[in-house]
Amino acid sequence: MSYEMWAEKYRPQTLSEMVNQKEIVERLESFVKTKNIPHCIFAGPPGTGKTTAALCLTRDLYGTGYREHLMELNASDERGINVVRETVKTFARVRSIGEIPFKIMILDEADNMTGDAQQALRRTMERFTETCRFILIANYSGKIIEPIQSRCAPFRFTYLSRENQDSYLRRIIDKENVQVSDDGLDAIFEVARGDLRKTTNTLQAAASLGRPIDAETVYSVIGRANPIDVREMITLAMKGDFIGSREKLREMILKYGLAGVDIIRQIHIEIFRSGIPEKWKIKLADAIGEIDFRLIQGADEEVQLSALLARLTEAGHEMKRGV
Amino acid sequence: MHAAWTVKHKPRTLSAVVGNRETIEKFRSWVESWSKRIPKKRAAFLYGPPGVGKTVCVEALSHDLNMELVEKNASDYRTAEMVQRFAGLASQYGTLFGSRRLVLLDELDGVTGTADRGGIRAVIAVAKDAQCPVVLIANNSYNPRFATLRRYCLLIEFKKPTVLQVVKHLKRVCAGEEIEAEERALKFIAERSGRDVRSAVNDLQALAQGRNRLTYENVAWLSSRDRKEVIFSVMKTIFYSRSCAEAKRAVDATDVDPDMLFQWVYENVPYQLTHPSDLVKAMEALSQADLYRGRIRRTRNWKLMRYVYDFMTAGVAMAREKTKPSGWVPYRFPQRIRWLGQTKGERQMRSAIGMKIKRKCHVSSIVAVKEILPYIRIIFENNTQMRADIAKWLDLDDAMVEYLAHAKTRYLKQ
Repeated sequence: MSYEMWAEKYRPQTLSEMVNQKEIVERLESFVKTKNIPHCIFAGPPGTGKTTAALCLTRDLYGTGYREHLMELNASDERGINVVRETVKTFARVRSIGEIPFKIMILDEADNMTGDAQQALRRTMERFTETCRFILIANYSGKIIEPIQSRCAPFRFTYLSRENQDSYLRRIIDKENVQVSDDGLDAIFEVARGDLRKTTNTLQAAASLGRPIDAETVYSVIGRANPIDVREMITLAMKGDFIGSREKLREMILKYGLAGVDIIRQIHIEIFRSGIPEKWKIKLADAIGEIDFRLIQGADEEVQLSALLARLTEAGHEMKRGV
Repeated sequence: MHAAWTVKHKPRTLSAVVGNRETIEKFRSWVESWSKRIPKKRAAFLYGPPGVGKTVCVEALSHDLNMELVEKNASDYRTAEMVQRFAGLASQYGTLFGSRRLVLLDELDGVTGTADRGGIRAVIAVAKDAQCPVVLIANNSYNPRFATLRRYCLLIEFKKPTVLQVVKHLKRVCAGEEIEAEERALKFIAERSGRDVRSAVNDLQALAQGRNRLTYENVAWLSSRDRKEVIFSVMKTIFYSRSCAEAKRAVDATDVDPDMLFQWVYENVPYQLTHPSDLVKAMEALSQADLYRGRIRRTRNWKLMRYVYDFMTAGVAMAREKTKPSGWVPYRFPQRIRWLGQTKGERQMRSAIGMKIKRKCHVSSIVAVKEILPYIRIIFENNTQMRADIAKWLDLDDAMVEYLAHAKTRYLKQ
């Protein structure tokens, strides 16, 4: 048996293999039938099949030689305007040889493109519509500028249901001969919440332990995969251990390479989820927002977030005194 | 190329391990005695301070004797059930492939919490009935929790190597990195590390990476005595001034690099200003100072530097209102500088792996590092077959595989 990452090994190859997003898949299949597609935006949370759908669509459209008609760019790695001016344009302007007169350009994580690059893209999309169709993939379509949105057919992907997850996993479980108990499947759904990449990675990591997978295995795997515990950092600060929470922060930034913006978003969520008095949630939201703004201005992540942790420490202290 | 030097230049064979010669001999002859008959003590307990070569020694010995090393980091496997699973491995001497086996349970200190008593009991069971050499490693064998365990083990104490022995190892690293280093510089690093070889190599990497010559001047600024005194007196002024003017004079009097001073102040604020409301004010001042630093970077307008100084000196000084004086609190070397040095190799390694994943998995290298790498790490730690196949599939080099399979938290432990 050969192993690769199961998320790749079992990535659907054709639209008909996709277990979810039935309405979207139907419409994409009709594009294949008519051999014509508009520019598209695939928006939705991670692990819901956006990239897979784009790849399947291309494969169904062109058959085995689809690679010649396709270019995949990831905007997070190549986000600047020069990529649009050079790479994208060069690809888009040349006519494809074959039955279908256009090529396909997949721009993944397009919400990370700079504003300039998006403006440049807008003109490219218009000028070369005949020779190239674009599929933009994004978590939030709101981060794509209006003029591009209005030129694209929007598709909203949603998290997979429990049935979707199970029917997808069953295939892997059979083929790879792993044993998963029912509470194991419950746990996977509980932690991955319909993000199929996370689902599959969790299953594989749990399977690597070489024993039947139950709920406990799943939780221990997830615990090891997400050493970043924002909640713990907040709790430490609120309990008055600023130094300990700053240590956690350092670990996140320097050791695990988390971005400051991700950490602060998580803090924001956790504060509103927490059981602290309601009026404090609003007070703290103000502090969080201010620090977020400073981060956007390009300030140092650790110093700024530490200042926020100091705020949390003070808040914890005052709550205890009943202020 | 981007690996941490502690990993890259780890001794592969026993003769390359510095210090503890007799100790190592004792350990070697115990392991070798297994080939004749099972010795009375079936487990060896290696203990000693961090960074003296305990784990390295076991790894090198298994390499020299061509034994299969089964290694687990005990802080990951704290519960009894986890240890028992591991114990199965210790129940046979030979492996399927004919080579002999050596079982290592590392970082046993991690199994000592009150919740983990069952864990230690399980380790004792392993030590009693092992059919192959079992090696336990901890920093402090005299922890009362190990009392019973000690009875079943051959106790082997590792001591700190001498400064010259540490220097010898640093020289070898320098040779490997093609760095010409002054003896005095290496001696300085060795002394400063407190004869902790790992930490010395980390410091060396932080100071020497990217250079081809390392002089005493390159390292001496780190914490030479006068330097330290200058910093300490500036810090004292900043934390105890009663007026803005006095606090601001602190920097006029010295030529301390402002970024360095900022790090010192930032590190020490929570230790000096312990009352939460003082802490908030001081951290806010530093946050403002940092904002101005950013503005200077963007506008190249160095006139703004005076505001950076205002906030990091007077701003911090004026924060002191409610903190009660509590005697002498020593100033700490900025941990962030140490961390940056120690994690640099790790960060570069991660993004190199991210680029490899990106090629296969249709994601950006950033998403690869955040969302896929953690799972690959678990797989690599647990399943050698999957590890080999995935490594080949992703086209990872040996250093990457090594990093993923053994990264643990070792560099940052201290």
